[in-house]
Amino acid sequence: MVESLQGNNLSDDIERVFFTKQEIQEKVDFLGKKISCDYKGKDLLLINILKGGVVFLSNLIMSIDIGISIDFMAISSYGPSSETTGAVKLIKDLEESIEGRNILVVEDIIDTGLTLNYLTNNLKARQPASLKICTLLDKSVRRIVDMPIDYKGFDVPDVFLVGYGLDYKQKYRNLPYIGILKKEVYLDKDPMLNY
Amino acid sequence: MEELSDNLKAFEKKEEVVLRFIKADEVKFAHPSERVCASILDFYHIRWLYEPKTFPIEWDKKGNVVQSFTPDFYLSDLNLYIELTTMNQKLVTKKNRKVRRLKELYPDVNIKIFYQKDFKNLLIKYGFHGSEKNKN
Repeated sequence: MVESLQGNNLSDDIERVFFTKQEIQEKVDFLGKKISCDYKGKDLLLINILKGGVVFLSNLIMSIDIGISIDFMAISSYGPSSETTGAVKLIKDLEESIEGRNILVVEDIIDTGLTLNYLTNNLKARQPASLKICTLLDKSVRRIVDMPIDYKGFDVPDVFLVGYGLDYKQKYRNLPYIGILKKEVYLDKDPMLNY
Repeated sequence: MEELSDNLKAFEKKEEVVLRFIKADEVKFAHPSERVCASILDFYHIRWLYEPKTFPIEWDKKGNVVQSFTPDFYLSDLNLYIELTTMNQKLVTKKNRKVRRLKELYPDVNIKIFYQKDFKNLLIKYGFHGSEKNKN
């Protein structure tokens, strides 16, 4: 049994299931088929942003029936110490050149668009033949940087979702479904959140 | 209606935003959440200006401005204004009304409101969750 942040079973911290394993699988299969159709006969490299998107990517590639390659990137994210540590940077780069190749960035969730904006600017500078975005979840209510999403699974409201790769403090990624985290798990006494 | 149009024209002729970008720690913000927002934007290389422009939204019969609205941030690369709200529901309602009026009068102005709840959820996402910090 995997412990939750409150010391119980992981599922005990979930207020309710938002998307079941089956609903997600059906959507992933749909996206996989569409991608297979759109890129038939083309060289396609799927780029995944660590770590949240790994579960989605793993399932997605099994629903794609054309030859593809995968690669991974990771970037530093904003956090409590970021005001003194400066700016976003790549902490894991791609292993090969993307010049002249068809690129599909695969994300678990897009909310503000800040991370993706930084990444797509970085990737565009490397002159790929094409650059498209695929995300399982779109939380557009939080969007700051608007960008076209070419393949989208679900629109979601501004609720705290975990599971299927999505985490809270690195936990819950291994839940097979996507659920809303109970408020008491993350509501806290942090002065940053209580001004 | 013609009066309103004249007022708007006069405002647009007079107003010119000077773009001078500075870092979050160089600005005195009215609210701590604004400083955090500026830091996040700095972190992701998004250029911002703090309260660079005040939009008149109501005039008296003589054409004097009686109510105006100053959005918190302008993101020049995205041509987007951002307004952060507080938890005070009365102020949120007032701000919502002002933003609605702004959109009516200046339809080309792109503005998004971030409610305090949304902003706090964003902070949780970025790791401002209490338990670890509270341990220190």
